[in-house]
Amino acid sequence: MRYLPSAPSEDRALLDAIGVGRAEDLLKGIPPELRLNRELELPPQASELDVLRTMTAFAAQNRRFTARFLGAGAYDHFVPTAVDMITSREEWFTAYTPYQPEVAQGTLQAIFEYQTLICDLTGLEVTNASMYDGATATVEAALMAVRQAKKKNTILISQGLHPHYQEVLCTNITPHEGLKLVQVALKDGVTDLEDLKAKLGPDVACVMVGYPNFLGCVEDLKAISEIVKPAGALLVSVTQEAMAFGWLEGPGKLGVDMACGEAMSFGNYVNFGGPFLGFLAVKDAYKREIPGRLIGQTKDLDGQTGYVLTLASREQHIRRDKATSNICSNQALVALRANIYLQLAGPEGLKGIAEQNAAKAQYLRQRLLALPTFEAVNTQPFFNEFVLRYKGDVKAMQKACADEDILAGLDLSSYATALQGCTLWCATETTTREQIEHLVEVLARIPSLA
Amino acid sequence: MALRTRESLIFESSVPGKIGMDLPHLDVPAAKDTRPAHLKRNAFEALPSVSEVDVIRHFTRLSKWNFGLDDGMYPLGSCTMKHNPRINEKTAALPGFTESHPMAQDIHVQGNLALMFTLQEWLKEMTGLPAVTLHPSAGAAGELTGVMLMRAYHLSKGAHRRVILIPDSGHGTNPATAAMAGYDVVELPSREDGTISFEDVTDPSTGKIRKGFATLVAELGNEIAGAMITNPNTLGIFEYRIKEIADILHGIGALLYMDGANMNALVGTARPGDFGVDVMHLNLHKTFSTPHGGGGPGSGPVACIAALEPFLPRPVIVRETTKVGEGEVATHSYRLDWDRPESMGKVHAFFGNFGIVVRAMTYCLSHGGDGLKAATLRAIVNANYIRKQLTGVFHLEYDTPTLHEIVFDDSIQTKKGVSTLDIAKRLLEYGFHPPTIYFPLIVHGALMIEPTESESKEEMDAFVDAMKKIAKEADENPDLLHQAPTTTVVRRLDETTAARKPILRWTKA
Ligand SMILES: Cc1ncc(COP(=O)(O)O)c(C=O)c1O
Repeated sequence: MRYLPSAPSEDRALLDAIGVGRAEDLLKGIPPELRLNRELELPPQASELDVLRTMTAFAAQNRRFTARFLGAGAYDHFVPTAVDMITSREEWFTAYTPYQPEVAQGTLQAIFEYQTLICDLTGLEVTNASMYDGATATVEAALMAVRQAKKKNTILISQGLHPHYQEVLCTNITPHEGLKLVQVALKDGVTDLEDLKAKLGPDVACVMVGYPNFLGCVEDLKAISEIVKPAGALLVSVTQEAMAFGWLEGPGKLGVDMACGEAMSFGNYVNFGGPFLGFLAVKDAYKREIPGRLIGQTKDLDGQTGYVLTLASREQHIRRDKATSNICSNQALVALRANIYLQLAGPEGLKGIAEQNAAKAQYLRQRLLALPTFEAVNTQPFFNEFVLRYKGDVKAMQKACADEDILAGLDLSSYATALQGCTLWCATETTTREQIEHLVEVLARIPSLA
Repeated sequence: MALRTRESLIFESSVPGKIGMDLPHLDVPAAKDTRPAHLKRNAFEALPSVSEVDVIRHFTRLSKWNFGLDDGMYPLGSCTMKHNPRINEKTAALPGFTESHPMAQDIHVQGNLALMFTLQEWLKEMTGLPAVTLHPSAGAAGELTGVMLMRAYHLSKGAHRRVILIPDSGHGTNPATAAMAGYDVVELPSREDGTISFEDVTDPSTGKIRKGFATLVAELGNEIAGAMITNPNTLGIFEYRIKEIADILHGIGALLYMDGANMNALVGTARPGDFGVDVMHLNLHKTFSTPHGGGGPGSGPVACIAALEPFLPRPVIVRETTKVGEGEVATHSYRLDWDRPESMGKVHAFFGNFGIVVRAMTYCLSHGGDGLKAATLRAIVNANYIRKQLTGVFHLEYDTPTLHEIVFDDSIQTKKGVSTLDIAKRLLEYGFHPPTIYFPLIVHGALMIEPTESESKEEMDAFVDAMKKIAKEADENPDLLHQAPTTTVVRRLDETTAARKPILRWTKA
């Protein structure tokens, strides 16, 4: 086996030194009746060439598309080559959690820079070293808000949150007796302010709003914050497409107390949904309540600047069942990718890419609406995603697209009765005009409806 | 080590006008500004203006301050820092995988579903448990999923049980998880051989009586939802009464959860399903070699008994086999089943850390059943070799037979005022990553060494040699150890001030 670095003679020497005849003798701590007294019924070991063939065959069974108009929480952005190249250095990808700061300053300084950038994008003061994904970051934000709000037990969630995030939230809130998740309705694609006011009682710990929301609409966080603040609840923004931060003001500047969401868009592939990058940023006042790892700046014995894991007394390895969360391993390498991406982009690049996303999505929407088969369902500003109603058979339309190597927008029919026949379309900087024209041509060819 | 010992924060190198990413040609009309004025992105305060050259040099220099697996032995106990095969990176980067969209229709992602299904089958065979989900993102996420499965099971029986038993040697994520799932944690004491005590234990320092497993079961009875037990435990010792524990728990209607962080000691030699475990997690980033990434991403699949399967997170992968005529090869198709009325719900926005699952599948195929077992045995041999070499040099609190790791402590060295921290820091100067220190909590000044199967005799001998020298230095020249390290890019850092006056991001001066 190529990964086992020992010659048979060395194996013998090790066993002799230990004083046993065979490796199996070292299993004596496992009662014999609990051992597996047969070989694993699995294929035998394989060469690298054979493994590569098998894995390539799996990958080949996936359908590849030349044009993709599907977002809905996983966005197709260009990944600069430098991101892949830098992260393939063993110093980054093989190391573990920087428990020994003297030999992990690279990782530590990089995370400190990442924390700085997430704070910049969200307009907030403190963020952690990463969370698993947008959905679990949303859970952590809700639990944190409930801890802050002490006796309040209700979490209001806008129906505009990604339906999967809502479900993950529900999974994780249900075990907490006394906590309630209550939905706030949408109106014209955004949170219905009247419904919000009606539900905003004294028991509400926090209000969670998409920014942009699942339908691609940009919620007016400032207006919402003016309603939420006087009621004494915390406002949490949930962003499933962090590229929008190049186009939209940081939520912290609009009155939000916490911003969470998904930042895979910075330097990562859609990759069947993971590994992705959850983020959670909060106001400075909450820094001792935030879950997950935090990196802080300090000095060494000689007065040199350096970085360490800090405020660990919030975490599971110190506080055990009183910890702010159980999270231990996070998404560090994905955060590194985001960090590299954001540094390459800089302020001009990020704004530029974001503007291109908006331009492509606007053009796509305009071209689709020119077809008789599509109609608008709301009038809200959007970033790179939007909803249109399709007047025909959505499944058949998606199939017609797939036959032309096009991945069509998402069928929203199963998400809410109000969304019957609706489709969610996405365009990014990777979408070309040619792809859009091809899509329009394919859609125009679908036999017209009754 | 590092060619340069200083690398400023990138923000300090920013010069307006520089850019590291040129914009693609825009082939559609520029965006109309539809944003309300107050929602329009204003200035950025930190995003740096730097070139691609600057960024690549920045991260290359920073990287040289890291100790990685390929720099040398990295015996971080409980973390299973084994070799990261490069083919795993190559397969995970195949465009057929990286381009696949999590909201695509099942018919378009058959390769992904087949791969996930296959890995689940492999994990079932290794654990002896009939159902697996790959959704949890890491070990702790697997624990949470597993404990919520237990909760869903009890609720389906109409029972509300509030307590989870966890040994004092357990990892911090265990009690933190139980609390996150709404349970009260009751601690199980360890006995003098390092395993769970059935009898009450008197704490030697406080004289307080700590109730053993048998007492707690008798007193709490059907308040107990289950126990979370790491096996082999965090001392590397197999809990030899595990089957008895399972039987007792089952007798009161409770379940046994196993933290499978230490499966590198069991794959191919013993199966949790065969010793009464009802639900467990595995760490693909430990046992199955997926890279640790400087702290993540990992993956924490959960395996469970049939009675828990209905509660697994949605969606589950279903394989459908097309019946074929005699002599023909059957064809399979896969679909995601969302219609799971008893499911605990989703635990990740999509299907977990899929890219990590691809790497783990690659690892499994490379090893095969025989290679997996060989790796396990080799990991156990390596740990026992180090145990043999260092026994007497460092104190071994529990001398029960151990499997894949060994926990020493600093009690010989503290006589000269040298602590585990000093030993770890001095080890850095010998070019090794230190073991896990101060964990498990039941060993004062713990030094937890897990060499894994990836270390050669030569590398282990060099490590043993360094540890012996350090022990000698501790005896003869303790100050040398207090001062260590002096050869690294920074010396010991002031963690107290870091926590007292936290600086958690760069701000413009
Ligand atoms: C015994 C044990 N349990 C649980 C965990 C948590 O795993 P993760 O970091 O993947 O969440 C660890 C991780 O170090 C561990 O060693």
